[in-house]
Amino acid sequence: MLDRLRQNYLAGTLSVLGGLLLWELVSRLLIANALFLAAPSQIVHAIYQLTLTGEMGRHIAISSVEFAIGYVIAAVIGIGFGFGMASSARFKQALQPWISGFYATPTIALAPLFILWLGIGIWSKVLVVIFLVLFPVTINTEAGLRTTSERLIEMLRSFGATPRQIFFKVSLPSAVPFILAGLKLGIGRGLIGVVVAELFGSRAGLGRLIAQSADAFNMPELFAGVVVLAVAGIVLTAGFGWIEKRLVPWTKD
Amino acid sequence: MAPKLRISHLGKRFNELHALLDINLDVERGEFISVVGPSGCGKTTFLRIIAGLEPASSGEVLLDGRAVHGPGGDRGFVFQNDSLLPWRTVFANAIIGREVAGQVGAAERQRTMELLKLVGLEGFENYHPRQLSGGMRQRVNLARALAIDPEILLMDEPFSSLDAQTREIMQTELMRIWEEGRKTVLFVTHQIDEAVFLSDRVLVFARRPGRLLESVVIELPRPRALAIKRTAEFVRYVDHIWRLIEDDVRASVIEEKV
Repeated sequence: MLDRLRQNYLAGTLSVLGGLLLWELVSRLLIANALFLAAPSQIVHAIYQLTLTGEMGRHIAISSVEFAIGYVIAAVIGIGFGFGMASSARFKQALQPWISGFYATPTIALAPLFILWLGIGIWSKVLVVIFLVLFPVTINTEAGLRTTSERLIEMLRSFGATPRQIFFKVSLPSAVPFILAGLKLGIGRGLIGVVVAELFGSRAGLGRLIAQSADAFNMPELFAGVVVLAVAGIVLTAGFGWIEKRLVPWTKD
Repeated sequence: MAPKLRISHLGKRFNELHALLDINLDVERGEFISVVGPSGCGKTTFLRIIAGLEPASSGEVLLDGRAVHGPGGDRGFVFQNDSLLPWRTVFANAIIGREVAGQVGAAERQRTMELLKLVGLEGFENYHPRQLSGGMRQRVNLARALAIDPEILLMDEPFSSLDAQTREIMQTELMRIWEEGRKTVLFVTHQIDEAVFLSDRVLVFARRPGRLLESVVIELPRPRALAIKRTAEFVRYVDHIWRLIEDDVRASVIEEKV
């Protein structure tokens, strides 16, 4: 059992290392044109250089702030909306068309508009992140509260529990896995939102780094930005998985 | 002395269908009573009305002389599926009835621990439901109902999801636990031998309309061991009850096929 796990882990590691090696070889031998592709070694070097000059830190800081503010606002509002929709049919009816509409629309296309409204500073990006994160969180929260097991509600009711007790002792805890899933979905969407919004117009941020590197045909720096983003996405999602395992262990086995 | 539980002219209708028709019953303090009958005879509805989980269409339920309207801490319900909260430990699940009533002092915690010990779960207090077997989860289910120290225990086919061996073990365990406190028990089951083994009286229900067909007094000595199931007297009781409901059961089986 453990041996097999170890072997699976090894397979994953080998696959990644093999892919990197192939990439290195292709970019050095086959497409030896620095205008189109950068080798992993060059990317690592670029990340190192950008970090030394402090430029990478600056971009990461700006993007992080945009992401964090937007994400937290969206999470709070989204969970609030979800609660509202689960507890009031009228509220749900009023909100549902907007939620469905915005969730299905690629709201990222509104980024240029937000930049016109709010300027090229961080707040236009924050708004984009909010728009992308809000809806999955709302939808999941509402679904989680709505799908509470009838059996469990009845069990508590048999002891004479009040609706308030039922909410806090059954509905809320059983919705937590859904809320976390919505928040997890929001991470990827939020990161996309930050970067794309920055591409449309910004002074700093990882999207800015990627855009200016592309303008200068500086492939290593472009990929440096992409790699940092990928790492951020992986780390945040993995961190979330860790929190899930601690917070809702009964959903995993 | 007034009966512990008095049910008079109890009826329940779903539209035109009489789920229950004119049920009358007195239950004495400390009596263990089972309800058997074919599917659709209303035995679970009967129990749920006494629990206050469903309203009656007519008649009334008096517990210690007080009419029952809605659920309350004077009745402990043991569910068919364990209905344990997966995020709570065994202990936190068992004490939830007390928690709902706002009584989680040292005495109640102590009492809950004793009950977990009584149902054979000592040492498992901090486990989570997913770590337990089906039989153990039903023990928590039982301890949870006992923890509120109810006037009457209402049990809805609590062993039906267990395998045959575990079920027999749980029957003897239930007898052992019941002998300790002699709670008044209403036990719904579709297993005739289970009903005879456990009960002082077996209420036989018929279907269409759901009604009380016969109340069979079981005069087997207590405490009862599993071996009693092989005695001629025991088998006579089972046969008698089976003959009462046989036609109904056959009819319900055919209906289910259709």
